[in-house]
Amino acid sequence: MPYAAAQQHTAGAADGAALFQTYCAYCHGSHGEGGRGADLTTGEYQHGSSDNDLFSTIRYGVRGTEMPATGVNDDEAWKLVAFVKSIGSQGAKEVAPGDAGAGKQVYARSGCASCHSIDKQGGAIGPDLSDVGRRRNLKYIEESIVKPDADIPVQYRAIQVVTKSGQTINGIRLNEDDISIQVRDLDDNLRSFLKADIREIRHDKPSLMPSYTSLSRKDLDDLVSYLHSLRGAQ
Amino acid sequence: MKIARMLAVLAVAIPLGAQTPGLPVSYERLLKADQEPGNWLMYSNTYNGWRFSRLNQINTENVKNLRVKWLFQGRHEQKFETTPLVVNGIMYLTRPENDVFAVDAETGRVLWAYSYKNPERTYNCCGRVNRGLAILGNTLFMNTLDMHVVAIDAKSGREIWKTKMGQYDESGGYAATGAPLVVKDKVIVGMAGGEHPISGFLDAYDAATGKRLWRFHTIPQPGEPNFGTWAGDSWKTGGVSTWNTGSYDPESNTLFWGTSNPWPDYNKDFRAGDNLYSCSVLALDPDTGKLKWYFQFTPSDTHDWDATQIPILLDAPYRDANRHLVAWAARNGFFYLLDRDNGGFYFAKSFVRQTWAKGFDDKGRPEVIPGNDPTPEGIDTVFPGVDGGANWMAHSYSPLTKLLYIFARDERRRFSKNSVRHAPGDEGPPTEAGAATAAASTSSARPDAAGGGRGGAPPAPGNGVFGAGGNLPGTNMGGNPRQRFAPEESWGKVVAMDPLAGVPKWEYKVVTPPWGGLMATAGNVVFGGTLEGMVFALDARTGERLWYFSGNDRVYAAPISYLVNGKQYISLAVGDVIITFGL
Repeated sequence: MPYAAAQQHTAGAADGAALFQTYCAYCHGSHGEGGRGADLTTGEYQHGSSDNDLFSTIRYGVRGTEMPATGVNDDEAWKLVAFVKSIGSQGAKEVAPGDAGAGKQVYARSGCASCHSIDKQGGAIGPDLSDVGRRRNLKYIEESIVKPDADIPVQYRAIQVVTKSGQTINGIRLNEDDISIQVRDLDDNLRSFLKADIREIRHDKPSLMPSYTSLSRKDLDDLVSYLHSLRGAQ
Repeated sequence: MKIARMLAVLAVAIPLGAQTPGLPVSYERLLKADQEPGNWLMYSNTYNGWRFSRLNQINTENVKNLRVKWLFQGRHEQKFETTPLVVNGIMYLTRPENDVFAVDAETGRVLWAYSYKNPERTYNCCGRVNRGLAILGNTLFMNTLDMHVVAIDAKSGREIWKTKMGQYDESGGYAATGAPLVVKDKVIVGMAGGEHPISGFLDAYDAATGKRLWRFHTIPQPGEPNFGTWAGDSWKTGGVSTWNTGSYDPESNTLFWGTSNPWPDYNKDFRAGDNLYSCSVLALDPDTGKLKWYFQFTPSDTHDWDATQIPILLDAPYRDANRHLVAWAARNGFFYLLDRDNGGFYFAKSFVRQTWAKGFDDKGRPEVIPGNDPTPEGIDTVFPGVDGGANWMAHSYSPLTKLLYIFARDERRRFSKNSVRHAPGDEGPPTEAGAATAAASTSSARPDAAGGGRGGAPPAPGNGVFGAGGNLPGTNMGGNPRQRFAPEESWGKVVAMDPLAGVPKWEYKVVTPPWGGLMATAGNVVFGGTLEGMVFALDARTGERLWYFSGNDRVYAAPISYLVNGKQYISLAVGDVIITFGL
């Protein structure tokens, strides 16, 4: 009886608001407007909209995504469900400032696809953008284009592996333990190195992505609009 | 040369093919467990908490030849935190959710299995785990997730008695996950649940009948000393569980046991005061359960820095006298040396990065640096992190090197203040509907906290290699600001601590803050495993890595060593597999 359970806690939406500030606002924004995490005011939830789905997402996280188990108990999770549903019914989608169609052209001519993929087309050295509009708000997307160092998922941080033979390999870290490190290099090759063969592992620059400050205001607005329109499989 | 001489004294010459003593295991044998290095008779091997093996067939010279001998396939998705027992070539181990197996320790073949039926929903914070057994006579003892103590016949696997410790689903939830400790004719058992508005205790049960003999309330009750260390009624639901295993000093007949955090974990608004006996070591009379003394490491804790580490009991010349000491690498990031006779404080020194204390007074009370308490919006500048500089995983002390080996977590994490109000019933059991829903949707398919520690996220789909979680790229742990920081910022390390000086002699750094324990041996080797599943052997004198094995799954357990037919073996749970190594 998940709906009944959430209904019982509807009165706890105010408590849910406080919990939201503690557990959710860092990614989803203080009003649920999104940021690193999805915009929750739209009432669209990628991993299910039922009370039970929301409870599961909040309580246990979503495997293979950035959404973690929240760390609240069941009662708190239901309060959060109640709060999320309350803001979901109030919100409206952000209005993108530019022309998404034109932005698709900006995306193509700027070489974004050499590192990023959309609908399985493109590179893997940067995050998949197929549903970035669902996961990130407009401000975050623009910031990621002009200030890519501002916030980088740890699995996309740039590293430089310098071997004892003097070779330097730039890429992102796929895995690491105390014996070895695995890297996807800039040419999309999967590489593995024993640490015994490595002189050093450097982190000179947080992101491999260049800053696209050279884009015109219109191109930037169009590109942001295009990316924000990407919602993944509906 | 000095070490070589000590080695000759401490190590035991074992002829090949020699048999080790078998059942029944008397209390007298438990007292002299160090005289039976071929067996592993209790959680820490010996009552002093050292987890030191006197075996030296496997040593710094030949450990490089260590090979896998057999695997025990646990076939279970929960974390294996068990420390097996070994008696005369038979290994007794627990699988998560309270299954017990007797296994031929030479081949891994199962001899019998005992299955315990837990409720569909239990109230463990961090996985449906179990850390092991205790033994006395022919009987094994185990705590269960639904708050029972069970006695099992070591020869047949049949249940002998089962005693209810308490109502597991009361007050937000109790559980029992630690290995019991047998002292004399009693089974000493702790309980978990400090994340909930419970009231903690430590129990003793009659090993023969299962009758409860005493209960020590870890929160002083009305009329007892230190009752006034909790504001208002907060003592009624103040947490303070006893979820790991203690140590015992036969000479003074004193039981030492660590206690957990107060509840609510990250909010002290409604529990002003020191909140005794949270985050403390208790010195108890095992005959009566009466408190002899206590020492509180973290008064009025707001970081979940509980003190459930294994007490390390040392006797050593210190400050111009032969002293009885307790060494304690605490979750709050400081290494303490205490007087075992009275709880007196000698010193505390940090063994990981810490931001919260600028010093200690002469009684060991920390001088707290303001600005480190959790905030509603979260604070991520506090060291150590929520899982502490040390946690429950076993340390090991070697009388050869006179070093204490600590597997430390050098990390920061994000702390957020609970928004819960503190009033009995306010955080009571979930509604029936809520509880039922949670159980229905999660119990079979969703192991909680499959990643590292509380709130850990499950590993990425289809990626067994990343099963450890931790701060590895490729998991959703890394992208979450409430979870761990990048490997460049947070790491683990084996600290070889001079316990009388509080100064590390060496450190061995690992990529990810660990959850596994350590074992030192008379072969001058320190064994352990990382969250990525690397099983390692270090030179106990220098920290040099002498051998490794890539197990590629999370290590949440500590190694043991024993003999079968006169040959030394090392066993350690890696993921849901118990791997046994030998030469």
